[in-house]
Amino acid sequence: MLQITDLKARIGDAEILHGLNLQVNAGEVHAIMGPNGSGKSTLAQVVAGHDAYEVTAGSVTYNGTDLLALEPEERAREGIFLGFQYPVEIPGVNNAYLLKAALNARRKHQGLDEIDAFEFLKLAREKMALLGMDPKFLNRGVNEGFSGGEKKRNEIFQMAMLEPTLAVLDETDSGLDIDALRAVAMGVNALRSPERAIILVTHYQRLLDYVEPDYVHVLSGGRIVRSGDKSLALELEEKGYDWLREAATA
Amino acid sequence: MTSRLAIDALRDAVARLPDNRLSATRLAALDHLQGQGTPTTAHEDWKYTDLSDVIDISNQWLAHSAQERTPDVAADQINALKDRIDAYWLVIANGQVDESSVAVAQAAGISVSLLSDADVALDFDAPLANLNTALLRDGLRIHVEADAQPAKPIGILIVDDASSAVGVSQARVEIDLAERSTASLIEHHVSTGRSRHYANSIVRLVLGDHATARYVRIQERDSGHSQTGRLNVRMGRDSSFEHSAFDFGGKLIRNDLLIDLCGPGALATFTGLYIAVEGQHIDNHTRVDHRVGPAKSIQEYRGILAGATRCVWNGKAIVHAGADGTDAEQANHNLLLSEQSEIDAKPELEIYADDVKCSHGTTIGQLDESALYYLRTRGLDRRHAQQLLTQAFAQSIVDRVSIDLLQDTLREMVAVRLSKLIEGDIGL
Ligand SMILES: Nc1ncnc2c1ncn2[C@@H]1O[C@H](COP(=O)(O)OP(=O)(O)O)[C@@H](O)[C@H]1O
Ligand SMILES: [Mg+2]
Repeated sequence: MLQITDLKARIGDAEILHGLNLQVNAGEVHAIMGPNGSGKSTLAQVVAGHDAYEVTAGSVTYNGTDLLALEPEERAREGIFLGFQYPVEIPGVNNAYLLKAALNARRKHQGLDEIDAFEFLKLAREKMALLGMDPKFLNRGVNEGFSGGEKKRNEIFQMAMLEPTLAVLDETDSGLDIDALRAVAMGVNALRSPERAIILVTHYQRLLDYVEPDYVHVLSGGRIVRSGDKSLALELEEKGYDWLREAATA
Repeated sequence: MTSRLAIDALRDAVARLPDNRLSATRLAALDHLQGQGTPTTAHEDWKYTDLSDVIDISNQWLAHSAQERTPDVAADQINALKDRIDAYWLVIANGQVDESSVAVAQAAGISVSLLSDADVALDFDAPLANLNTALLRDGLRIHVEADAQPAKPIGILIVDDASSAVGVSQARVEIDLAERSTASLIEHHVSTGRSRHYANSIVRLVLGDHATARYVRIQERDSGHSQTGRLNVRMGRDSSFEHSAFDFGGKLIRNDLLIDLCGPGALATFTGLYIAVEGQHIDNHTRVDHRVGPAKSIQEYRGILAGATRCVWNGKAIVHAGADGTDAEQANHNLLLSEQSEIDAKPELEIYADDVKCSHGTTIGQLDESALYYLRTRGLDRRHAQQLLTQAFAQSIVDRVSIDLLQDTLREMVAVRLSKLIEGDIGL
């Protein structure tokens, strides 16, 4: 589904990704771990299409098409979803309106009719109940005045509504209490299917107790320095990242 | 170099107006105007707004169309406008008061008459007010009785049609709300037609003790037409003035809002939204005089500018000696969507009293790139995202419109205007 080859990317003058390789197939859940500043968010933003990040070498293909040639909204309509590490507050833009517009943009792209208002509300209420969110959030401004945990739940709620083919969740588990963490995990597990793939960028092993990854990768210094199965996450939990950094520079 | 008004031709035009109780006042106003001259950019209050174009239109009109019969505005056009908002509508079309509307608007607690029905005592003051008086065919007087609460808003539709010839029109309305009355008022300016047009309006509103006015001004002039308009408000004890202004159209627009807080306990809340695209010039000057305390004024204007446009916001608050317990807030926020757009924003405070709370803030910015990107990652294209963000910026003014049933209409007007602005490729 997603094939990243020798990817180099920079922001401003600083090269952050120095030749990254990653293959994600349909049905798989990948966890990407790594120390602060290793380039995890950079990778997520390059996949989503942030124009502040410049790709200087390598390629990213998504179901065989050149992803880097697409605008962010085209990627979204093709089924890519990014859960932001820092979701943006947009006062005055209604949450429900955004979601409906997002759903309809995707549906239009797929040649489907717009979702009707009643169907939309029903679906939204269902998903919110599942994630333990108050339906009142629907009528608030996008992330406006939300607490950190509420913002993350809202990202997962959007994901649940949009049912992406490829979801990239950037530290959605950071700063959550145990209930919120469970809700996020439930959202992710509900999305799991043979047609979809999920990339979980995370700092901690904690989320992986609830969402079992097929692969775990360690990103350090702009490269994937190690890949393995879920036991790698446990090993990292135990030993930290320093031993890998030493291994990488050795 | 600002053009000069052709005073002799103006004198001829005044002489041709229908003879009524205004006749002597017109001539006196004309004399005042001749002595004053029209404002030029050398005047501090007119530094950024050059009236040359308006004076050219006036001179062109004086040389030609002023000598002919004033054209009518099509009845179906007027009816379509009236149907948009449920109100007691009074109509001034091409500067002529529609007398049939005067009869219709008489409702419980409201009485409407022509200015010429009684002897007129009009002040001679600023040049454009004198121009208005000099060329005034007739005007409206609206009285809301003590304790009355009219069921519907009182609408004043000022509509001009310049499809057959260059036009100049004057509108004049004197409103008073007696003690403890509550009324909603809508001042709606519309114009059409390909010829040039200049409209000049003066509204005076007097609020009795404990009276409340909810006031909405909507300006939707053709992009080739210009307007200068003034609203004077005099506020009594414990009265309340809740004002929202929307400037959507026009070429050169200058609004003066002058509020006199004359009674303790008065509260003036005034907001405005201007949306300017290519070639438009919208100037809002406000002045609030705190003459007594305690009293409060809260103002917030917002602007959205795209293409080569210039807007002006100048908010002046004067706290006179002895007006202790004054609370004055001023805010002006602008979104500049193109590099060729320009805003001159200036808050001014003059304080001569001791116990005073004043605050002001102005901001000038662009659309938030991170918000745009976030929306795009959800599948919205750039234009849709821009539209949403500008709409959100404007919405906070719509939300403060105190005539409830107007909020949806205005939201729709704003949306239509913004989608035009964003589709009209403005180099975003
Ligand atoms: N706008 C920026 N300008 C310069 N450097 C940046 C910018 N954004 C991020 N970086 C740097 O890029 C590196 C990778 O950042 P990031 O991808 O956010 O890491 P992670 O998500 O793994 O913590 C860090 O060293 C960070 O300081
Ligand atoms: Mg990060």
